[in-house]
Amino acid sequence: MNWGAFLVGMLPEHILLGGLLLLIVQAIVSDSPRGPAAASIVIVAGAALAALWLAVTGVQAVPFPGQVSVTPAVSYGKAIALALALPVLLLARDDLGDGGPLYPLLVSSLYGLALMLSSDSFLTLFLGLELLSLPVYAMVLLGLKRESSPEAALKYLVLGGAATATFLMGVSLLYGQSGTLALSTFSKALGSPYSLAVGGCALVLLAFFLKAAIVPFHAWAPDAYDGASIPVTAYMAAVVKAGVLLAAVRLVAEAPLSPVITGLLTALPLLSIVWGNLAAMKQPGLRRMLAYSSIAHAGYLFLAFLGTGPQRHGALLFYLLVYGLMTVLALAAVPADADDGRRDRLELLQGLYQRQPFAAIVLGLAMLSLAGIPPLPGFVAKFVIFREVMAAGHTAVAVAGLVGSYLGLYFYLRVIQLTFMGPQPQAAVGALPMRSAAWAAAWLCLLPLLVLTFLPGWVLARL
Amino acid sequence: MSEALALQVVLWLPLAGMLAIAAVPAGAPGRVRAIAFWVMVLQFVLTAWLYARFDAAATGVQFATRVPWIAEWGVYFSIGLDGYNVLLVLLTGFLGPLVVAGSFTAVDKELKLFYAMVLLIQFAMMGTFLAQDLFVFYVFWETMLIPMFLLIGIWGGPRRIYATLKFVLYTAFGSILMLAALIYLVYAANQAGVDSYAIADLYRLKLPPDVQAWLFAAFALSFAIKVPMFPLHTWLPDAHVEAPTTGSVILAGVLLKMGTYGFIKLGFPLFPAATLQFASWILVLSVASIVIGACLALVQDDIKKIIAYSSISHLGYVMLGLISLDLIGIQGAIVQMVSHGLTAAGLFLVVGMIYERCHTRELAAYGGLAKLVPLYSVAFMILTLASIGLPTTSGFTGEFLVLLGAFRSAWGQHLGGDSFALVPTVVAVTGVVLGALYMLRFAASFLFGPSRAPVARLADVNRREASILAALIAAIFWLGLFPDEPMRKTEAAAREMQQLVTAARGTSVQAGSTR
Repeated sequence: MNWGAFLVGMLPEHILLGGLLLLIVQAIVSDSPRGPAAASIVIVAGAALAALWLAVTGVQAVPFPGQVSVTPAVSYGKAIALALALPVLLLARDDLGDGGPLYPLLVSSLYGLALMLSSDSFLTLFLGLELLSLPVYAMVLLGLKRESSPEAALKYLVLGGAATATFLMGVSLLYGQSGTLALSTFSKALGSPYSLAVGGCALVLLAFFLKAAIVPFHAWAPDAYDGASIPVTAYMAAVVKAGVLLAAVRLVAEAPLSPVITGLLTALPLLSIVWGNLAAMKQPGLRRMLAYSSIAHAGYLFLAFLGTGPQRHGALLFYLLVYGLMTVLALAAVPADADDGRRDRLELLQGLYQRQPFAAIVLGLAMLSLAGIPPLPGFVAKFVIFREVMAAGHTAVAVAGLVGSYLGLYFYLRVIQLTFMGPQPQAAVGALPMRSAAWAAAWLCLLPLLVLTFLPGWVLARL
Repeated sequence: MSEALALQVVLWLPLAGMLAIAAVPAGAPGRVRAIAFWVMVLQFVLTAWLYARFDAAATGVQFATRVPWIAEWGVYFSIGLDGYNVLLVLLTGFLGPLVVAGSFTAVDKELKLFYAMVLLIQFAMMGTFLAQDLFVFYVFWETMLIPMFLLIGIWGGPRRIYATLKFVLYTAFGSILMLAALIYLVYAANQAGVDSYAIADLYRLKLPPDVQAWLFAAFALSFAIKVPMFPLHTWLPDAHVEAPTTGSVILAGVLLKMGTYGFIKLGFPLFPAATLQFASWILVLSVASIVIGACLALVQDDIKKIIAYSSISHLGYVMLGLISLDLIGIQGAIVQMVSHGLTAAGLFLVVGMIYERCHTRELAAYGGLAKLVPLYSVAFMILTLASIGLPTTSGFTGEFLVLLGAFRSAWGQHLGGDSFALVPTVVAVTGVVLGALYMLRFAASFLFGPSRAPVARLADVNRREASILAALIAAIFWLGLFPDEPMRKTEAAAREMQQLVTAARGTSVQAGSTR
């Protein structure tokens, strides 16, 4: 172990771990309702800043050779994922009050994410992945205001378990083939024609498809997104997805792909784009709709894996940042109401603009950006992805993906149609003003949105 | 003030106006209207000054600004005036204050959002015309969708949701294919050593004909939907009928020029070999648009639909002029674009004025307005005659030059042994007769005969409305009587486009037949 690299390179992890202990102690000694929320915001912000500092100063460190290493690209990934958790924490203060065990769970999940992103072996990766996922199963249950929550949590748990099993199966095949657990075996195996290697890679990829909700492994997502409370939905959509995708891109690295793997990375993401966008049209609630939207977006993100250029990592980071911000923004704008199940029904958004212009405009911006309409940053994000795919020579795939993205336009526009053009609903629902923390969360997403809209080049040059 | 800076101000002013409107407290409608109006006036003054300063003798982009935007890929935020856009920028700037002034009494709900959207679409339209970088062009091109979606969807008629979704989903489908083609084009340019999104750089690209054909098909589909050309025109009547007057005026005045502008600025010069390959198709579809648009206009009962279908017919002329690839034809097409912008915007404004008073667009509900509202009727008649293309009006200059160019081109091809183009060109002339027929049928039952109006006391145009119409009519006569000066400013660009396309003749499929 290298002490200097350990202390500096893993600074975000240390902050998160120290903060986690602090939160647990605080829960024992104090019963202030606001304490944990404020403390966890400070902890996560500190960790995100530490990661950003590591990235900007270009720190390269190997705290545990063969297990954990840190590069600026990794640190940028951590900084973005951790920063996306900040508006989620603000939302949580509104929705869950003192939050119960939410804050320690969320911080430990973030610890797993940070560990996973800098892992160098399957062992650390697995540790991080489980540490990321296990708290989320419990977090889904926290918003237990409806009968569907436990069912959603169970579904999520069982399918998450299946993903874990698939992952381990794949890793054991790869270990059997190469005799080592280093992550580099995966990228080597990707181009290999041996069936053992291909099988191992395919199983590991499928596990990531399950975690990222790629069709046909997507069925848990709508239920989990819908059954959880709104901040937990935002966490799953923005942060967990970012973590899973960044871990996957670390795995795939810049290795050449064998035809089978290329087929896998083409067919299922395309299917996700088409099915996610089609199914989203019929959803009655905003969160189920966003779940299908996230399935489609996972499709775009995995298509980027076909690209082999050095800019792919930056493209993915940019996309994840924009996608995460927009999803949290949309969820922050959902009008306050008695319970989560009622809050996000699409018909309750009718005439939102007349009641709460700010919330309606914010929601509209989020929808247009998710739909990828310029000048909003969702467009540049989509552009970088398809530019990568096209540059890798997969012209037909890129065209199919773009046409698939067209299918998504309708349901995003439908939200705008309801909020701006719909008649006022009969009952006085959703009339409560946006709560202060949700308002703060919306601004926390809007300001980066402005930077990403007007200066996408400045951001892209740094990722 | 330097010209380049003034051009920047022209572009960004509406956005600044939007922010100013957002800052106005609710319940001050007068201030919102005033901000929107004066922003537009200032923008027009600046565009007029820039138009005057535009040097007709120089080639290339003038008053350009070029700032790195996504420097990594070679995307520059690059804008400037050139022969392609100079008249259209002037038209956009000119219609801006008229659009705002025309909506003062028509709109009463969500005033702030309304003027914010009018300014946003003005910003996006200016940006689309001024863009000299393909990426920037696409960003502005798509940005136009959002404000139009809201303008029709919030302030439109009873079937507004259907109409606005149809409009957006139609145009966005073309756009997504254009995006795919754009990404591929820049990737191909990159392979060929042109690491740039600058449109002028991409002109120099020599792509193989089969690649050009695919890319052109995608760009052309997107532009043809926007024009709109037959058979992709079905969104237009719905959008026009359901849109509020302001929306119709913007749509007819400027937005419908986007498709033809796309062809002249990008579609034809970027893919010359493909243009020649598809020229006969475009010719036939242009003529189909002219004739079918005119025939459909002949049988409508809804006033707005008549003008909507007449737009399809008039834009068919623009396409006919462009595809003739004859200098006179191209010049005529540009004039026809501006002329249609003026007359169609004017016609939608006068229809909006009568609709504001009577709340019906049923043609049968009106008659003999010449006796009831004489001043209004004079303006209406002048706009109608300009739309038909009576000499001394702008419509004549445009249509005449287009037909002249089309005949010169068709006859030239005939002498070269290819007589295909003669038939559609002759058929196109019937459009002139049909145009006179539907517009005069409209005017006759509207203005003359026994007096009939849905309301008992019909007020004539007030001073605000009279000023708007007077400005439009003055512009129509200016372009009709003195087309020489504006056409000198567009000549260099028209010649450039013609040369870029015809230079590919040697390599195209049609090479044998035209030589």
